[in-house]
Amino acid sequence: MPKFTSRHPFTLGAAFGTAALLLAACGDSSTAPGGESEVISRVTLTLTPSNGGAALTTYIDDSDGNGPTAPSAQVAIPALARNVMYTGTVKFENRLKSPAEDITAEVSAEANEHRVFYTVTGTGVTVTTTDVDGSNRPLGLRFTKAVGATATAGSTRVVLCHYDGAPKTAAATSCTGETDIDIAFAYTIAP
Amino acid sequence: MRPARLALGILMSWGAVLHAQETHGDLRHLHGVVESAATGRPVRDAEVVVTWTAARAAGSTSARAATARQRTDGHGRFDLRDLPAQLVTLRVRALGYAPSVGDVDLRGADRLLTVHLEVATTVLQEVAVRADTARERLARVAATSTLDAAALAATRGQTLGETIKNLPGVAVVQFGPSIAKPVIRGLNSQRVLVMNGGLRQEDQQWGTEHAPNIDSFEANAVTVVRGAATVLYGPDALGGVVKVDHAAVPDTGHLRGDVALNAFSNSRQGALSIGVEGADLSLPSLGRTGYRLRVTTRAAGNGAAPDYYLSNTGFRELNGSLALGVARDWGRAELSLSRFSTELGVLRQAHVGNANDLQRAMTTEPRDSAFSYAIGRPNQRVAHTTMRARLLRQLPRDGQLDVVYGLQFNHRREYDNHGPLRFRNEPAFNLKLFTNSLDVRYTHARWRGWRGTIGSSAIAQGNQTLGKAFLIPGFDLWQGAVYAQEELAVGRLSVMAGIRGDAISQATIAFADAGIRSPAGTKAWRNGSGSVGAAYLLRDGLDVSVRVARAWRPPTVNERYAQGVHHGTAQYELGDASLGAEVSQGMEGAVRYRGRALQLEAAAYSNAVDRFIYLRPTAPVQTIRGAFPGFAYAQTDARLRGVELATSWSPHARVQLLANGTLVRGTNRVDGDPLFDMPADRATMSARWLGDAASRGRWYLGAGTLLVRQQDGVPSGTVYTLPTAGYALLHLEAGTTGARLLGRRADVSLTVNNALDTRYRDYLSRYRLFVNDAGRDVVFRVTMPF
Repeated sequence: MPKFTSRHPFTLGAAFGTAALLLAACGDSSTAPGGESEVISRVTLTLTPSNGGAALTTYIDDSDGNGPTAPSAQVAIPALARNVMYTGTVKFENRLKSPAEDITAEVSAEANEHRVFYTVTGTGVTVTTTDVDGSNRPLGLRFTKAVGATATAGSTRVVLCHYDGAPKTAAATSCTGETDIDIAFAYTIAP
Repeated sequence: MRPARLALGILMSWGAVLHAQETHGDLRHLHGVVESAATGRPVRDAEVVVTWTAARAAGSTSARAATARQRTDGHGRFDLRDLPAQLVTLRVRALGYAPSVGDVDLRGADRLLTVHLEVATTVLQEVAVRADTARERLARVAATSTLDAAALAATRGQTLGETIKNLPGVAVVQFGPSIAKPVIRGLNSQRVLVMNGGLRQEDQQWGTEHAPNIDSFEANAVTVVRGAATVLYGPDALGGVVKVDHAAVPDTGHLRGDVALNAFSNSRQGALSIGVEGADLSLPSLGRTGYRLRVTTRAAGNGAAPDYYLSNTGFRELNGSLALGVARDWGRAELSLSRFSTELGVLRQAHVGNANDLQRAMTTEPRDSAFSYAIGRPNQRVAHTTMRARLLRQLPRDGQLDVVYGLQFNHRREYDNHGPLRFRNEPAFNLKLFTNSLDVRYTHARWRGWRGTIGSSAIAQGNQTLGKAFLIPGFDLWQGAVYAQEELAVGRLSVMAGIRGDAISQATIAFADAGIRSPAGTKAWRNGSGSVGAAYLLRDGLDVSVRVARAWRPPTVNERYAQGVHHGTAQYELGDASLGAEVSQGMEGAVRYRGRALQLEAAAYSNAVDRFIYLRPTAPVQTIRGAFPGFAYAQTDARLRGVELATSWSPHARVQLLANGTLVRGTNRVDGDPLFDMPADRATMSARWLGDAASRGRWYLGAGTLLVRQQDGVPSGTVYTLPTAGYALLHLEAGTTGARLLGRRADVSLTVNNALDTRYRDYLSRYRLFVNDAGRDVVFRVTMPF
């Protein structure tokens, strides 16, 4: 910094500058996002065989929710039996919070604005939505998964669709709103 | 408005020569007082300009014009010495008065005069008398364009960006009718500084969807400085400066005011602005005080493209300001408070969940929506509050001390399409930015052809990041700078050089939840800017100038720490905390011609920006929501080149033809690719037919066109298929100033933008992926002084 004599206007500037810097404290800077955005960190599918037997549960985690880290590998890839009908449920959770938050309840509460789509790759497996929203349109939190005699291994893509401006229509086969979840679950066929 | 040359004795009366003084060889002394013809009171701060034809320089055959200028002091006095003993022309201008011109004979003796100024009948059109001498000098070597009050009146009611977008070298990044960000020579946001009434506008300008929070009705003149102006304005002026000038708070006259009303057919927008001012307020311990109060409101519904409405693109704005000022012998002091607040919708289609949604939104026809004034999600609510204190001390021989202190609070809340039920009314992003700034600028007295400014600038800024989602971390920013700029005029040559040193410290506040990790970090930068330029007067009205400038800019917090999805483009943007400063080294040349009928300005520039900070496409980011195209802030070496042309030709006193053209080329010097987001080549041409009639005032009729060429410079890494086609728009206008309306004098105009309802998508429109730009817009404006 150049030196100025006391009569120079810069002295005044320096004094004002100091005052300005002190005033900056009034805006106590902070980083405190509420962390309350709609983060889903785990999607779980539960498949209960209709012929009795233990339910199959599989899930995928995304340790940073909407963050840049890719979702982790699917845990407990289900082995489905041929010629069996499974009743299924899907669960959306935010496990980044403690205790974990169940987003499924919100989806259910706002059923008119949501729909879960299931797209199956691999032959011989059919997913059918079994629940409806308040206007009798499919919702998709509950479904059946029919595994045929010739079924082969594949995957089920789960898309949670949020309708905001876009109208929700019963006949839709894919999301025309905003995608909240888009993740594929692999399955195998038990020998 | 052009100062008309008015007959002696009508608008200006020359007092009798009270006494002839002793002469001093060949040098004369012209002094006197400027008074209001109506009240007889002295007029402060009037600009007094004396011009004469200087003696021929040795070896030169042509004569040249020479000028001396001064402002009147608190008693309306002026005192010009060392003038030649010959016939000179005296021009006197002051805000609120009709300008006056007259010849003064200094051949025989010194003169003492009393100049009477008539109160202008067209106060609103009066060009502001500029107090910023630094800017005037910059204008000679840097490329600048100014919109005066009359030109601004033609675009009132629109955003600041819309107001200046037809100037040479300027374009806008636009989010429908409500958000327009100025782009100067291909650069925008954190590279373009907006100065509002002498204060740096700190309104989170780093985001392209963050428009300048300025009430355009407050502006009395807008000046665009193209190219680096970092010496006077600091690192954010690397690309250029948009200066919004307010008129000085009046120091004479009683209560008066104006009311302006605009109506826009396209978005069914209405704008109303009411301003009052005067100088008859008497405050305890302050004495006579000038004041100005302005309230502006604007409201618009959905904009309309030729085939459909743009859903959720309305806005509501309410602004107010109060300014008080005293003008005394020592100079003037002003204190103002202003608040700008807006709520605006963001096009619904432009908010998408992941890359698949984006693909679908781009490939399906836009849904038609009904017209509505309602603003749904997503939307933004922004409020900007400013306290500004300014002290302007006039010093002998044109010296000046200018001290501006500003306290600004910018509160930006952005609401997402949806969120958890309990937090639906919580903003997704909630950013609070507090800025203290102090600028001290001292312009020293003229000394042997030297004239210069030294100054210092200090900024303390704090940011709070609240809301539901992480966008950027909270931070503290400290900035200090000293600078000096000197100009030396030697005959026809004028040389200018400036240097500045900045020290900037940026401290971010750590944030970590299970999803986002953003570290605390303090980083400081120190660097210098400099510029050297020269202007040479080839002959009367024709000058050439060259300038070289070095500028630098540290990375902003968003470039270093951004983490998240940009819902308008489904881009996953990632900052890089290790980014370094970018450095621009550029040169430019300009030719200016100011003739009686033809005015022309052409400029060309080439800037090499080393370590240019930009968004580089990376591998797609996989999340539980699906895939997003990934973009990371990175650095490369870039070059920006361009040419600009502005011409005005009056082949007949009642005909005015205007043409502007702008070309920008941005290149990544490392891989030879074009830079992203460069404005397409554009030209505007217009013709005006002017007239004057007692009942209709000064009227005009005009037509113009905007021609935009296809943008063929799109970088290869671009994920989306961008509309790059060229387009042409027709524009019609008619208006009058000083017409009689309802028994009052009024300015009325009717403008039709996009008169042919052309379907087009501008390359820089952020809604280009989804919808066409706005269609025909019929705009009616009326301004009435009272």
